[in-house]
Amino acid sequence: MNRLKIATLTKYILVAFAIAILSFLAQSAFAQGEVEIALFLAVSIIAIGITYLTKISIPLKFFLPGLLFLAAFALGPVLYTLGMSGFQFQTGNYISKDAAIERIKLLGVQPDENGTTFDVLVGRSDSGDFALLASDPFVTKQYFISTQERLTRLDPLDLTLDSDGLASEAPGFKAFSNRELREVDQTLTTIRFKYEEPFFLQLEGSDLAAVKRQKLEYLSDQDQFRNLLTGELYSDNGRGNYVSEANLDDILQPGWRSPIWFSHYIDLFSDPKVREPLVKVFIWTIIFAFLTVLTQFALGLLVALAMNRPIWGRRIYRSIFILPYAMPSIMSILIWGGMFDTEFGAINNLFNSDVAWFQNPNFARAAVIIVNLWLGFPYFYLVTSGALQAIPSELSEAAAIDGASGKQTFWKITLPLLLQVLSPLLVASFAFNFNNFNLIYLLTGGGPRNDLDGEIAGATDILISYTYRIAFGTNIQNLGLASAISVIIFIIVASISLYGIRKSKVLESFK
Amino acid sequence: MTKWIRENLWRHAVAITVVLFSLFPLYLVVISSINPTGSLQITSFIPREISSKNFRMLFNDPTIPYLTWMRNTLIIAGLVAVISVIIGASAAFAFSRLRFKGKRFGLQTLLLVQMFPAILAISALYVIMERVYNFAPYMGLGTQTGLILVYLGGAMGVNIWLLKGFVDSIPMELDEAAKVDGASPMQTYWLIFVPLAAPVLAVVALLSFIGTFNEFILARLFLVDMESRTIAVGLQGFIGGQYSQNWGPFAAGSIIASIPIVIIFLSLQRYIISGLTAGSVKG
Repeated sequence: MNRLKIATLTKYILVAFAIAILSFLAQSAFAQGEVEIALFLAVSIIAIGITYLTKISIPLKFFLPGLLFLAAFALGPVLYTLGMSGFQFQTGNYISKDAAIERIKLLGVQPDENGTTFDVLVGRSDSGDFALLASDPFVTKQYFISTQERLTRLDPLDLTLDSDGLASEAPGFKAFSNRELREVDQTLTTIRFKYEEPFFLQLEGSDLAAVKRQKLEYLSDQDQFRNLLTGELYSDNGRGNYVSEANLDDILQPGWRSPIWFSHYIDLFSDPKVREPLVKVFIWTIIFAFLTVLTQFALGLLVALAMNRPIWGRRIYRSIFILPYAMPSIMSILIWGGMFDTEFGAINNLFNSDVAWFQNPNFARAAVIIVNLWLGFPYFYLVTSGALQAIPSELSEAAAIDGASGKQTFWKITLPLLLQVLSPLLVASFAFNFNNFNLIYLLTGGGPRNDLDGEIAGATDILISYTYRIAFGTNIQNLGLASAISVIIFIIVASISLYGIRKSKVLESFK
Repeated sequence: MTKWIRENLWRHAVAITVVLFSLFPLYLVVISSINPTGSLQITSFIPREISSKNFRMLFNDPTIPYLTWMRNTLIIAGLVAVISVIIGASAAFAFSRLRFKGKRFGLQTLLLVQMFPAILAISALYVIMERVYNFAPYMGLGTQTGLILVYLGGAMGVNIWLLKGFVDSIPMELDEAAKVDGASPMQTYWLIFVPLAAPVLAVVALLSFIGTFNEFILARLFLVDMESRTIAVGLQGFIGGQYSQNWGPFAAGSIIASIPIVIIFLSLQRYIISGLTAGSVKG
């Protein structure tokens, strides 16, 4: 009975603890405006409360923690990917529309014709507002204090001037110390201090202010920007940017992440700039996955056949064959990368050659296949050995009695049977290699590629490494397009996997 | 004698060729690690000089926080292993022993989700964790906590095969006996299933450990600081495409990191191979 009490108490403590942490997170998420995340957390809290404090469903008590993690970090991101693929979402189109309008307004300024600047001290005025004490001892010989609201001209006689003629103290102005300056540094650069209309002063560094005027004005009625100097209008182009009506190349930065629905998917098929590299990469992905499975299976089968008889040293051979599979694959790939080095690598050294493995597209592809063969043949050796033993020996004996040669027995009986047994594993291996990111990324980085032409797709890039490169690999991070390609890969891999699952009948074990 | 040659010679020929192929990279990394010049260029395939310089460099050079990487890897992979086992075991128990609606559908969904590599949703994970960083910098993008959470997303699906298969093999009579004695499903789970399954749970934890150890890309995306990296990310960044430099210490570091994994793998061979035929492929 005592034990039961402790168990119950532990349960309540754990539940309370989880709810406390999640509530805290939900509240900070809400405070930061991350409403979706806050909502998800709130739902989790309710689910935990109901599941563990009532008797509504016993199975749910076993599933809930895993389910919540699954929803947050597996299913959620998949749906999020789907959502992101419908947006213009890339470097330069990363923020919301409102934020982008604010940024454009802030950046849409230009200096006056002479590029006038003042030496300034930053501080506070009498009323406690941020203020500048500006000096121009040489050209215009003016001194003034400027806040966001007021411009107060000063007589040089009232001021304390330093040896350069710059004002260092003035009545009604208190300069910041260096420490105070550092604390407010971020806010200061966005403040517009008063100057002769339509100009204003903006800080450039901690002791210089430039005279600027607003160039771009937002017209909220028409959702357009107008250039105040030329009168030119910029409109929403439907892809997350304001673009000049007269000149389509005149785009205002930054843009925002704008919903563009299926445009990315349409581009995948219709825009040659997107389609051509993608088709190239797709073809190589298929060839790569196919050749990998073929070579791994062939070598694994050969070894399994050779070991299919108790020959001398079989145990030692066997443990050596497993080693490549037991090694952490990341380490193996990096080691192979060094071995393929053109100048100093062991492969060129061994064969006394000077092949530029990673600079020549075809050699790079060969290297990828060779390394993957090394990594994967033990797997097929292991599964094929098992399958070979499961083939009843009566079959080959019967064939031998009928006068079949060893070769005939293998091609007509053993291999077809093996293929039938192993086809789900071959399909699974194909699906796995279809997305074998680590190998490509760590061995060749997808290269060689022609960087000078701005080419993103390299000769050994497979879809997944190409997608990663689009999302994170270049100066422009195109998360929207990358998500669209991810969705396509999802569909391909799901089809292959479902086919494999059907074949393996694995679902039937889950009645 | 001729019969022996005809029957067995080709077997040994194949075996020896493949042994050479298998061992060549491993041999190379071993001789590189004890080569005092630390260079990628091997002047002789038989080491003339043996030195521990590369290993000492790994532990003493402040620019290579190898021990920190090792500790990070142990913490991250260890925590993920333990929590995944807890989550996976309870899911397997429920799938095997409890009756509820949508069981088949749930399993199928789990199966499908498990087949998608996390990397496919990597852009979304990046953006989501960036948003998490906005309100909780201690668990968002760039933190080990965030990385662990993301790894746990797959905890329920991974190894559900092995676990469920094991639960199925525990005789139903035990449960029924417990039920007759008045035990609730929770008590059956904690007092009967968990003690019985302990060895299998340990195996699953170790497999999960190897899986996390081998995970590269999420770790790479999350762990930017030199000091927060795992061994895989650290060593990759360390060698960073520049194979000619740092090769010696890299070889030493990869040997130290690989030995425990190889040992775990070889001792768990039996389970891994039975898992293989169930359709999972090691990363």
